[in-house]
Amino acid sequence: MTTTPGFTGLRAVILHRANDDVQRLTRQLGVLGLDTHVQWQPLKTTATADLVLVDADAGWAGILPWERDKNPVPLIALLSSEAPGRVAWALDHGANALISKPVAASAVYPALVMAFRFHAQRLQIARELDEMRERLRLRPLVLAAVQALMQRFDLDEAAAYRQLRQQAMQSQLALEHVAADVLSLSASARAAK
Amino acid sequence: MDVVRVGILFSTQGAYGALGRDCRLGAELAVEHLQVEGKLPFKIEPVYGDPAGCADRYMTQARSMMLDNGCRHIFGTVTSQARKDVIPVIEKYDGQLWYVCPYEGFEANENVIYTGACPNQHLIPLFEVLLPRFGRRVYLAGANYVWGWEMNRLAREIVLEQGGTITGERCLPIDETDVSRIIADIENQRPSFVLNNLIGSASHAFLRGMRALADRDPSFHPSRCPVVSCDLTECELPEIGFGLADGHMAAASYFDSLADQDNLNFKSQVARKLGNDRRISSFFATSYATLCLFADAAARCGTDDPRAIRAALHARPHRTILGELKIDAATNHASLPFHLGRISGDGFQILQSRPALAADPYLTNRSNNAGQLPAKAKLRVVS
Repeated sequence: MTTTPGFTGLRAVILHRANDDVQRLTRQLGVLGLDTHVQWQPLKTTATADLVLVDADAGWAGILPWERDKNPVPLIALLSSEAPGRVAWALDHGANALISKPVAASAVYPALVMAFRFHAQRLQIARELDEMRERLRLRPLVLAAVQALMQRFDLDEAAAYRQLRQQAMQSQLALEHVAADVLSLSASARAAK
Repeated sequence: MDVVRVGILFSTQGAYGALGRDCRLGAELAVEHLQVEGKLPFKIEPVYGDPAGCADRYMTQARSMMLDNGCRHIFGTVTSQARKDVIPVIEKYDGQLWYVCPYEGFEANENVIYTGACPNQHLIPLFEVLLPRFGRRVYLAGANYVWGWEMNRLAREIVLEQGGTITGERCLPIDETDVSRIIADIENQRPSFVLNNLIGSASHAFLRGMRALADRDPSFHPSRCPVVSCDLTECELPEIGFGLADGHMAAASYFDSLADQDNLNFKSQVARKLGNDRRISSFFATSYATLCLFADAAARCGTDDPRAIRAALHARPHRTILGELKIDAATNHASLPFHLGRISGDGFQILQSRPALAADPYLTNRSNNAGQLPAKAKLRVVS
């Protein structure tokens, strides 16, 4: 990693009863350049937060405004309990990093770096997965387009596939898109006959 | 409060013993001067510890200072490794550590006061001067621990941002003295300048090696390819050999050669005790200034309770040999001046000075790129 991760100007929300730990956290987040808001009631929206830190010892269902692990911003669990149920609660809500209580000042920056990195990775993987699923769904189109090209230009299967790929690369479109074009072209050609 | 015991915890032997000796001597002399001055309403009683460079002794000695000797304040540690080892002890007994050495930043502990410079006070201004003047092909040499790694990493980030290149990077163990491979690499790569984050004997051997290289090939003369560092001071010049590192450069918040009246007075005071020949390093001066800072705060609040001391420190700056030392309430770091010096004989010729700059240990003024994923190599399309 060559770029130093920075957090200047970001907004953190701490969902925790005010105490020494929260004070230390707020101080350290301030040193890192974040604005921090503390509350011990459910968070209504993440529109005003770039990062959420939640008391995983006492957090309940409904304290966080997202479904399961669909957190739109990074989540850090604040935990002193070792109870498996509490660790699971944090994971189920999408925690991307953990800070143990009592909070050590030196734990805060690394947790932020991890939380932001893992959260960004998770979003990226979800995006890629959606894309892959979509392509998988459209795979029969590719098969049909290859057959259409084989017929139209009297090609073998490998050559037809190569042509489809080449077209996709030249137009910088997904293979499935080009396949759909080829098929609609064949359909209109048939209709014209 | 008649007597205040303070721990002085520096290694005077081992690879970085010269630095530790200067830190300890600075603290010792400050205690002596404060006593002679007679203005303090209490006596400062130093409790010395000398881990001799052994990592596992820092923690036990710090604990003994606090538990057996009643010290609530410890002045000490040179390496970041040792500081990180001592901090949990300090936190456990709610004491305070005073850290006087330049370091790589990325720390701001409530129970630590930092009077050594961090990168926005040393490396960044150093590169602001060096890159336009010598060029953007930079070679990185570092000690194999967090100081070397992190300083090299940050240097790489700065150089790449400026459109420069890193011509090579090598790390050596702290006590390694075989520097032939690094020197050969530098001879091959021909960088514009070299950042030296080696410490102790490795650093000394390296500077001697660069001298031999410059003797063979004048294009490596310090005026054309200087070696620069953020922790090389007067106290190591005798170990390198006077004259052998002449022309190379270092950043520091103090140099012996500062010509203002305050420094001339300070030097004559030190000379009375240590003789005229001894040059004062930033380690010595910072340690001295930090003890004075503590004594002033303790005198003002009438207790050595770390919370009260911190509040007193944050409330107002104190005039020291490093100038007005202001401790920031959020970071516990001191504002420090920046000086760039060029080695000449037994001291440094000052090339440039900047007034005291507030510390930014987490480099919050540089960037906001929290959610950025590291760049992946773009997939090449194969047909």
